[in-house]
Amino acid sequence: MNYKELTEKLVDQCLRLGADAAEVYLQSSRSLSIRIRNADIETVQESSPMGIGFRVIVNNRLGFSHCNDFTDRSLTSTIERAIAFAKLTSPDENNVLPGDKGYTEIEGLFDQEIQNVPMDRKINMALELEELALKDERITHSSGSGFGERETETFIANSNGLSQSFKSGSCSISVGVVAQKGDQRSTGSESSSKRFFADLDPLPEIAETASQRAWEMLDPQPVRTQRASVIFDSRVSSRLIGGITGALNGLRVMQGASFLGDSMDKQFASDLITVIDDGTRQRILGSSPFDGEGVPTARRTLVENGVVRNFYYNTYAASRAGIESTGNASRGGYTRIPGIGTHNILVPGGEHTPEQIISQTRRGLLLNSITGSGLSSVTGNFSGGAAGFWIENGRIQHPVRGLTIAGNAEEVLYGIDMLGNDTDMSRSTVVPTFRVREMQIGGV
Amino acid sequence: MNMKKFPLRSIPRRKFLEMSMKGGLLVAATPTLLSHLVSCREGTRPAIEMDKDAISRVIRKALERGGEFADVYLENRISRQISMEESIFNSGVYGIRQGAGVRVIAGDKTGYAYTDEINEENLMRAAEVASYVARNSQTITPVDIAPAQRESYITVAKPLEEIADNQRIEIMERANQAALGYDPRIRMASISYYDQVRSRIIANSEGLYLSDELPLLMFIVSTLGEEGNNRHMGRDRLSHHSGFEMFEKTTPEEVATTAARESVDMLVAEDSPAGTMDVVMENGWGGVLVHEAVGHPLEADNIAKGIGAFTGKVGQKVAADCFTMVDDGTIPNERGTINFDDEGTPVKKNVLIENGVLKGYMTDILSAKQLDMKRTGNGRRESYRNIPIPRMTNTFIQKGDDKPEDILASTKNGLYVQSLSGGSVNSVTGMFNFTCREAYIIKNGKKTKPVRGATLIGSCIDVVTNIDAVGDDLAFGPGNCGKGGQTAEVSVGQPTVRIRGINVGGSRA
Repeated sequence: MNYKELTEKLVDQCLRLGADAAEVYLQSSRSLSIRIRNADIETVQESSPMGIGFRVIVNNRLGFSHCNDFTDRSLTSTIERAIAFAKLTSPDENNVLPGDKGYTEIEGLFDQEIQNVPMDRKINMALELEELALKDERITHSSGSGFGERETETFIANSNGLSQSFKSGSCSISVGVVAQKGDQRSTGSESSSKRFFADLDPLPEIAETASQRAWEMLDPQPVRTQRASVIFDSRVSSRLIGGITGALNGLRVMQGASFLGDSMDKQFASDLITVIDDGTRQRILGSSPFDGEGVPTARRTLVENGVVRNFYYNTYAASRAGIESTGNASRGGYTRIPGIGTHNILVPGGEHTPEQIISQTRRGLLLNSITGSGLSSVTGNFSGGAAGFWIENGRIQHPVRGLTIAGNAEEVLYGIDMLGNDTDMSRSTVVPTFRVREMQIGGV
Repeated sequence: MNMKKFPLRSIPRRKFLEMSMKGGLLVAATPTLLSHLVSCREGTRPAIEMDKDAISRVIRKALERGGEFADVYLENRISRQISMEESIFNSGVYGIRQGAGVRVIAGDKTGYAYTDEINEENLMRAAEVASYVARNSQTITPVDIAPAQRESYITVAKPLEEIADNQRIEIMERANQAALGYDPRIRMASISYYDQVRSRIIANSEGLYLSDELPLLMFIVSTLGEEGNNRHMGRDRLSHHSGFEMFEKTTPEEVATTAARESVDMLVAEDSPAGTMDVVMENGWGGVLVHEAVGHPLEADNIAKGIGAFTGKVGQKVAADCFTMVDDGTIPNERGTINFDDEGTPVKKNVLIENGVLKGYMTDILSAKQLDMKRTGNGRRESYRNIPIPRMTNTFIQKGDDKPEDILASTKNGLYVQSLSGGSVNSVTGMFNFTCREAYIIKNGKKTKPVRGATLIGSCIDVVTNIDAVGDDLAFGPGNCGKGGQTAEVSVGQPTVRIRGINVGGSRA
């Protein structure tokens, strides 16, 4: 079936059945997942999910429906359900669909090679990865390794004449291990997830990272409750930046549910911090030619040297704000109404190596794991569970776990006083290591 | 009230699914066909013989290359979701999701494949893909399938499919008015309504054949309180496997008022202090702490792998004497109640820890076999797109003898946790963390000022050994539990309890 023609035809059908405006969103995927444990296959799963979502507007009211059965009768009746719902919701003149603004040309969203790699090779890669990760004698158990791949074709058509499609794919490989010592258990894992098979990180590197993360956290020692520096390593630094980007969501701002709502063009954080959202990076996972409702993606600076420069919007929120969509409609698949989200977040690196940041820290915590909510985008306050290493006089002393860290927006965001240069540009989210001068650490 | 056991209504949809099984001739579920079948109440019984034959052929195909167990799972889910924000009904979503999966187990290996389009041809293909893992292994002859009976714990007085959409809207409007009318400091309310009817057919190589329909309702009110620079998002949720009569037992106004009260009361909150404290947890949703801290580590998959925090501890003392914890999928109409799990095993009341002694784990078919234990009815899956894994249902701390007011009065200093927003646990290390939505400083046995941003952190073994008071006021709260990329609807419960010496995180010294 030609899905492009189908989506266009269904837009017309929505109009015939009573919609003033309509959008049809279709996704068709194929995925494979292999799990290995203890040198043998644990699970092999294969699937080809597909489905279609209808967004209709009747008298400025919005209705939505979805189904995964493509027969004529079923499609017609699903459209009728959306139109019926659109008679119940409230009229809102901002319920509009985007016009055709073209798309952004991006190389490297789909790798034909992934599905050509023989099944046995994929299984063997996962087997080898597990074996490598178990090599260190401190590693006692495997929690499994795996290979996964997925390809998706997305089609969007709407009654403003927009009709777009693109094909994307990804593959990933991962491993998890346990280091047990007496009654103590410590876990470590690592994964590599890329658009291209050839871009996957080398297996020995992934294995070593997972293994080290498990054994290096054995024999933690307690620290007392105190105020001290906190270094967010690049594994966890994005948790803090995520709270900032959440607060720059244009709809949340208009609803008063953001701590940065009144901060446009104002300083709210250390001038070391710049945040860019870039949906156009080649071969990178979060990139796409257009967003979840067909608006071209772009590269936009959200925060520049600690100053808010841009909020981000989908078409609805932009209309409400009286501006154009920034191409930030997110879409959690065909079953969802467009939301608002970022593509690939990038915080440009600073001048210090992570080692320099550690060596210049008199006393503090090198964080490698945060649990809990992190930075709240409503209040800007930070709170979470923490684990990592304790630093005295610029040197790592011992692992610590079961700590808490907290700080209010001002002390945390202005407190960022050193920024690392460790930016791994092969990832979708790139946030280097940074240090917060002082936070409250809860221990014994 | 005209109450009835639930599966009575299931005939038309089951008929529909079985019809679509016939040699893949027509179409899979068309909503038109569906509504037609649903409206013709007491239709003639479908010719199920042939359909069961088709399922049997799929099971046989799945075991053709080897393997000792195979099952087929067919599912149809019809859902409605309506949301309201800033007094505007901003969306209504109607959805139909259906498909079928085939699983093969060979030793410790599982093969799984599914199709979105239910017909014999596609299921045969899925069976072939799923059987990949069983190559060159021993096989069995499947037992002929025959319908089985299961107890139902879900009663429905007002079936969801008989509720007009404007009745749903009215419930939401009532909640919105109650939230905004509670206090001028409530700046915004958002109301989310969701219901679904999930139909299942489960058949396996042990000869099992089962089907039923489960209705589910979820109602969430979030309110934003604002005063000066202070903001707080309050929330309350109501959810049951039930008909629309759920809103007669707990009104939308009650849900809205609970959320609004939290938003307003927390506006004067100060930053939480940090350090080790005695914690009193109010009854209800606080049970999510033991769900995470003890429940997940007692799911048998990590135990079977030999890496779970409670591995090899059955029969051992793992918790305080006053601590008894239960997972019970039979509590009438609760959010975690499911009649039988997604592998067809009847749900039960499973005592996990009794007076501090570990009694058993929660199993699915695979982990029960691996551990040589009984199936406990905990093999659940998010949908036909996922394999079953051990999951909780309704998990709670059994009530004790203490009066909640005495527990508070006998706690000199500490933290009173009224509600938690959620948390997580590493099932292997047993380290958990939680964020408090609403908490108060306890001074001399009394609740004093509210504090924000408090985090609770610790190891599951410490928590269950440090519980020293258990109240007599058991209550439940609804939640979504995520594990291995799958979401399951659960409830958690607890009476008021006191836990000595938890590490509390906050921004004040």
